[in-house]
Amino acid sequence: MPRVSFEHITKTYGHLTVLNDLNLAIDDGDFLVLLGPSGCGKTTLLNLLAGLLDVTDGRITIGERDVTDLDPKDRGLAMVFQSYALYPTKTVRGNLRFGLVSSGLPREEIDKRVDWAAKLLQIEPLLDRKPAQLSGGQRQRVAIGRALVKNVGVFLFDEPLSNLDAKLRTEMRLEIKNLHTSLKHTIVYVTHDQIEAMTMATRIAVMNGGVIQQFGTPDEIYETPANLFVAGFIGSPAMNLKRGTLAVSGDRRAVIIGQTRLDVSDYRFEQPPQDGAEVIVGLRPEHFLPPGTTPADAAGQFTVPVRYAERTGPDASAFFEFDGALLALRVEPSLAARLKAGETVTVAFPRGRANLFDARTGQRM
Amino acid sequence: MALRWSRIAPQLALTPALAVTAVAFVGSIGWTIYLSFTRSRRLPEYTIDWSEWGRQYQRLFNDAAWGISLRNLIVLGLGSALAIVFGFILAAMIEREKRGESFFRTVFLYPLAVSLIVTGAAWRWMFNPELGIENVLHQMGLTFVNFSWLASAETAMWGIILASVWQSSGFYMALMLAGLKSINSEIWSAAKLDGVPIWRLYVEIIIPMMKFTFITCAILLSLGVIKAYDVIVAMTLGGPGQSTYVPAYFTIQALSASGNLGYASAAAVMMLVITAIVFLPLVLLTAWQQRRRAEAVR
Amino acid sequence: MSDLTIAQKAVGGEIAVRSAPYFPRRRKRITGRSIAILVFLTICALFFAIPLYVVVVTSFKSMAQIREGAMFALPGPWTIEAWDYAWNRACSGINCNGLKVGFWNSVAILIPSLILSISLSMVTGYALALWNVRWAGTFLFLLFICAFVPFQIIMFPLISMTSTLKVYGSVWGVAIVHAVLAMPVLVLIFRNYYKDIPQEIMSAAIMDSGSFWRIFVEIILPMSGNILIVILILQITSIWNDYLIGVTFGGFNGQPMTVNLANLITISTGTVAYNQNMAAALLTAIPPLVIYFLVGKLFVQGITAGAIKG
Repeated sequence: MPRVSFEHITKTYGHLTVLNDLNLAIDDGDFLVLLGPSGCGKTTLLNLLAGLLDVTDGRITIGERDVTDLDPKDRGLAMVFQSYALYPTKTVRGNLRFGLVSSGLPREEIDKRVDWAAKLLQIEPLLDRKPAQLSGGQRQRVAIGRALVKNVGVFLFDEPLSNLDAKLRTEMRLEIKNLHTSLKHTIVYVTHDQIEAMTMATRIAVMNGGVIQQFGTPDEIYETPANLFVAGFIGSPAMNLKRGTLAVSGDRRAVIIGQTRLDVSDYRFEQPPQDGAEVIVGLRPEHFLPPGTTPADAAGQFTVPVRYAERTGPDASAFFEFDGALLALRVEPSLAARLKAGETVTVAFPRGRANLFDARTGQRM
Repeated sequence: MALRWSRIAPQLALTPALAVTAVAFVGSIGWTIYLSFTRSRRLPEYTIDWSEWGRQYQRLFNDAAWGISLRNLIVLGLGSALAIVFGFILAAMIEREKRGESFFRTVFLYPLAVSLIVTGAAWRWMFNPELGIENVLHQMGLTFVNFSWLASAETAMWGIILASVWQSSGFYMALMLAGLKSINSEIWSAAKLDGVPIWRLYVEIIIPMMKFTFITCAILLSLGVIKAYDVIVAMTLGGPGQSTYVPAYFTIQALSASGNLGYASAAAVMMLVITAIVFLPLVLLTAWQQRRRAEAVR
Repeated sequence: MSDLTIAQKAVGGEIAVRSAPYFPRRRKRITGRSIAILVFLTICALFFAIPLYVVVVTSFKSMAQIREGAMFALPGPWTIEAWDYAWNRACSGINCNGLKVGFWNSVAILIPSLILSISLSMVTGYALALWNVRWAGTFLFLLFICAFVPFQIIMFPLISMTSTLKVYGSVWGVAIVHAVLAMPVLVLIFRNYYKDIPQEIMSAAIMDSGSFWRIFVEIILPMSGNILIVILILQITSIWNDYLIGVTFGGFNGQPMTVNLANLITISTGTVAYNQNMAAALLTAIPPLVIYFLVGKLFVQGITAGAIKG
């Protein structure tokens, strides 16, 4: 029994269709991240679930209840907003209490829950301050606390970390993840940041253009992207996508990209491959063997001129010219420092790591 | 869609305002328009003589007092426009010379805080032929000066204009000051570097940049002029004779003094028409500004 | 070395001052142009101040001194007789109980109409700005038009309705009509103010409580402090200074102070007591003037908001 499910959800604004016949089921205890570029419909989907927007068509259930026509407060949800949305005239305590008082809980119960959440989030010393007197990170904690005290099964997060600086974001990421691990709530979390998605989620739904492109665990999304959009969206630097032709002879299968031959005999095709089919092959920059290492069992070798290298401290990327475009590789920073522009290097790609997409449909083969 | 309390509550909360709007504004306007076609005297009559439905309007256009009212409306409008000019000059001076800004602003604006009846009372006293300013000037030997403007039909409107300008200049100054302060200060520096004379800077750059402020002021002024009533009561009671009648005064006189409801209604409808003529540009202006803002966002 | 640092700081400061938006010019030296501007502004200030001066000195003079004709002369001797007469004995029509009657009528009009107009328009503005009402746009446009309608076109129907409700000719009639007439403008002002409250705060409140009134009382009302004060000042001054509604709906028993004053200065039987007139004018003007001199800045905000409506 899924905790939350969307059935045939359609949302239109006038003539503009944002979501069309969308289906999604979230299991109990899952940490689902709705991931996608801005305007992909992820926030709309979250607001539909929260009840802040009305569905044009379709059904939303939470637990066993059909909540499609329920008021937001009756849906058994709590939400953390991007701008925190703390009530500016209430103290932190007042912010935490407001929803509970509104629902008519007894006083002792309210105090108990507020104390519990304040302790859990270490905001006890802040309880009598106003939001304006808090730092960004503290406001974020209060916003999470305000959701926690409601003691509901499903939590919604709308890009909650996007207003924090990089260091705080990393801290809060871990904190939210820990909260999920210890409290085992179901979480629906909207973000455009793939790092947040990969680090926190148990399930990711990648969205684009109002359509769920792929729904799976972070590993599935990363290892076996369902289509070109997901392949290009997840990973940094982005996956190298090169057009090629499939060459099939018995069990031997290979992709011919220009002059280069890439062996894909161990790729698990969903359909029997056709010889001569146009494909797009996806090669993750981090899967390449270090430049200079060219074992005999590599799937293919690329002899390519260096264009430039970028070092970001612990990491480095090198870019080579290949097939009229760039080929990105993740390399050791020390190695990147030695690469000279114009110099020709041979790089090898290991077996079993390539992704193949149908060039016509963009779908995984 | 199921009926939800969260949808009903705000609509319920809006019903009083909606009812007020429907009854006190929309309904009442309709009622008055209807009455303007009837022959109602002191009490309303609801039969319309269709062969002569426009008789009240016909009478109105032939009434010399209404003619005077319309002419005075234009005179008052043009005369009061001095308040905008004056307000702009004051604002520009205050803005250039920062010293004493709050003092001058306070002095220029205080007349706005008092009732027009009080304003009228004060100016009526200053215009007093025997004991007012004229007398003071005559005692100083300036016997050729005529300052008892309210006493003569030719000059009474000027007295009212002077009091109106005195009362409202500060307001336009405040609007203009807000407009001037929103102009990017780099323009001043750039003009200084380019050696542009100050007056050219104002004429060619500043005033065109403030065209919205000017249009706003002009519309507010027109609406204020159409509503002008209190100041007439306090200063001249429409006199001498009917020389300072304006439509607002004319309409109320027709109702309360002459007890002619149908006639007063026709005059009120004409006031509404005049307001609409002034109001239309405002609607277009707001629409245009909103579209421009929307484009800027995009 | 330290000298150099100071010099650098000074230069830095100088540059900062020059590039700061409000100080494009050098401040210290008084130029000829500055003097010319200040002289001009002072003359203008005199133009604005003279009527007040004349009214004040006249109100403290005796009629004997007034008849001498030196309008600008200081009172000699100072007397508060005119003030006493204006407050306690001045006639408005056939009642000769002074302006104090009108004063208390004005207060009796002011308080209920403030409560009525502000509460009605506040709730309406809140509902229009922050709740999803499908016909909100149409209603706002209607209110926008109503805000400009001349009073004369709805005058007779309002008289008729207040008579039916048995409030015509009383302070209640005046108070209700004030509330009705102010409603469109005030709704637009409140609506524009509430529109700036972040949508997410409203979303949070809807998820926490969902109750229209609870959100209003606990979240929105405490956030309305500024606008409430501005509106309060706007309404107090405009209701206090009103003449037309007071004279139309007040009858004999509900006349506000401005109507008393107008009767006093316009109905001139026998010799006109200018000192009493001026004392009466000042008595009427004092409450709004006190507000203006205490909270002038908010007053300006109020009248600007009232005039422009965003």
